[in-house]
Amino acid sequence: MATHFEMELDNLKSIIKKIGKLAEGQVSEAVKILLQEPEAAEGKIIKKTENKIDKLDVKIDEICQSIFALKQPVASDLRFIMSAMQISNEIERIGDLSISIVKKAKNIKEKHDLIVKFNIADISRQVELITAKTNICFAEQDGKATGEIFVLNKDIRNSCEDAIHDIINEMKVNSKAVVSGTNLVIVLKHLERISEHCTNIAEYVYFTVNAKIIKHDKFDDLRSED
Amino acid sequence: MKDIKIKVNDLSLYYGEKKALNEITMDIPANKVTALIGPSGCGKSTFLRCINRMNDLISNVSITGQMLVEGVDIYDKNVDVVNIRKKIGMVFQKSNPFPKSIYENIAYGPRINGINNKAELDEIVEKSLRQAAIWDELKDRLEDSALGLSGGQQQRLCIGRTLAVSPDIILMDEPASALDPISTSKIEELIHELKEQYTIIIVTHNMQQAARTSDHTAFFYMGNLIEMGKTNSIFTKPMQKQTEDYITGRFG
Repeated sequence: MATHFEMELDNLKSIIKKIGKLAEGQVSEAVKILLQEPEAAEGKIIKKTENKIDKLDVKIDEICQSIFALKQPVASDLRFIMSAMQISNEIERIGDLSISIVKKAKNIKEKHDLIVKFNIADISRQVELITAKTNICFAEQDGKATGEIFVLNKDIRNSCEDAIHDIINEMKVNSKAVVSGTNLVIVLKHLERISEHCTNIAEYVYFTVNAKIIKHDKFDDLRSED
Repeated sequence: MKDIKIKVNDLSLYYGEKKALNEITMDIPANKVTALIGPSGCGKSTFLRCINRMNDLISNVSITGQMLVEGVDIYDKNVDVVNIRKKIGMVFQKSNPFPKSIYENIAYGPRINGINNKAELDEIVEKSLRQAAIWDELKDRLEDSALGLSGGQQQRLCIGRTLAVSPDIILMDEPASALDPISTSKIEELIHELKEQYTIIIVTHNMQQAARTSDHTAFFYMGNLIEMGKTNSIFTKPMQKQTEDYITGRFG
C-alpha cells in the first residue's frame, strides 16, 4: 500500500503531467496560428490556458515547499522534488513563449509565402515533436530518452540558425520583407527556446533517475558514459 | 580515507547462538563524526558497544574478528579494558549524572585517575564544562546537585564528564532522543565543535540528525553493514537499494 507521502509525490507528478500537457497544447495552438491553419482559433483559448498554467505553476511551488518543510525528502525523493520545481518553471516558460509566438505571428504579412520559403512548417513540427517527447520522458521517468531529446534539440537549433540566416539575407535585398522578417526571426528564436526548455526538462529527468547533474554537459559526453 | 582511527575487520558478535553482527568491516576516520543508522535490532548499538568493550558486561557474548583502535586490537587478551575505556568515552540515551554536585560529577573521573590537586581539578572542571558548552549556565552553581538540572543540561554535563578524562573517542548512543529541540540543537552544535579534537561515533534513529551532524554514515540492517559512505552521498544518492528504502521511509 502506498504511504501518505508516496501519494503526495504521485499527486505532484500528476499535476506536472497536467501542466506539461497544457503547455504541449499551447505550443500546438501557437504553431497552428503561425502556420495559418484553418482550424486555428484567434488566441482566446491560448490566453485562457495560460492562466491555468500559471495557477498550476504556483500550486507546484506550494506543494514542493510544503514537502521540503514537512517531510525533509532525501535521495530519489529529494531529486524528484528539486526537479519538479525546476520542470514546472521550464514548462511555464514554454507557455509564455507560445503566447509570444502568437503575438509576433500577427505582425507577419504574406505569412504563407515566407513559411514555405524558409521551412518554418518543418521546424514548427519538430518543436511540437520535442515537446510531446519531453512530456513522455517525464511521465515515464525515462532517463534514456534524454539522448534522443538532445539530438532533436540540436537539429532544431541548426534548422533555426539556417532559417534565420536566410531570412536576414532576404531582408538585405528586399526592404519590404524587413518587418515580417524581423518578426519571423523572433518567432524562430522563441521556437528554439522552447526546444531548449524541453531539453532542460529532459536533463532534470535524467538527474532524478541517475543522480547525476548533466546541465552543462554536451550530448557526446553523455553518450560516452553509457 | 586518511587518518583511520578505528579499523574493523570481519567483526562478528554472537549472543549465545544468535549472530547479532555479521562480519563487519569498516574504517572509522579520525576527527570526524560517523553516524550509525538502521532500524531497531539491526545491530548498530551492539556495534557501538563493541568499540569500548561494553558487551563484555553481558554474559553469553562471544566476538570474532578484529577491532583495531589506533592499530591495537582491543580484544587482544593482553589489552587492559580499563585503559580502553579511559580512551573511549560514552554518552547514553538517558542522561545519567551521579547523585553528586555538578563539580563532583566532572571531577570524579580525574580523581580516580589520581588527580587530587584542587587547582588542577578546578581547571579540568572549567575546561570540560566549557567544551560541553554549559560553563556559562553552571559556573555559579557548581556545588548544586546535578540532579536538579534540566534533561538537556544533564546530558551536556555527562558529555563534560566524559571529556574530563581526556578520551580520544566519544561514543554516543541516541544522545538527544529524549531532549527538546533547543537542547537537541545545542548537543548537535557541540558534536560539531568537538570533532576537531575527538573522533565521534553516534547512533541515532533520527535520520535528519544523522544528516545534520555526521561526516560519514553507516547503514546497518539485520546485523550486516549494508553501506557506509560520506553522509552527503548516503542522503543524496545511496548505492544500495536497501539504504534508499530505509532513508526514504519505504522500508519493509
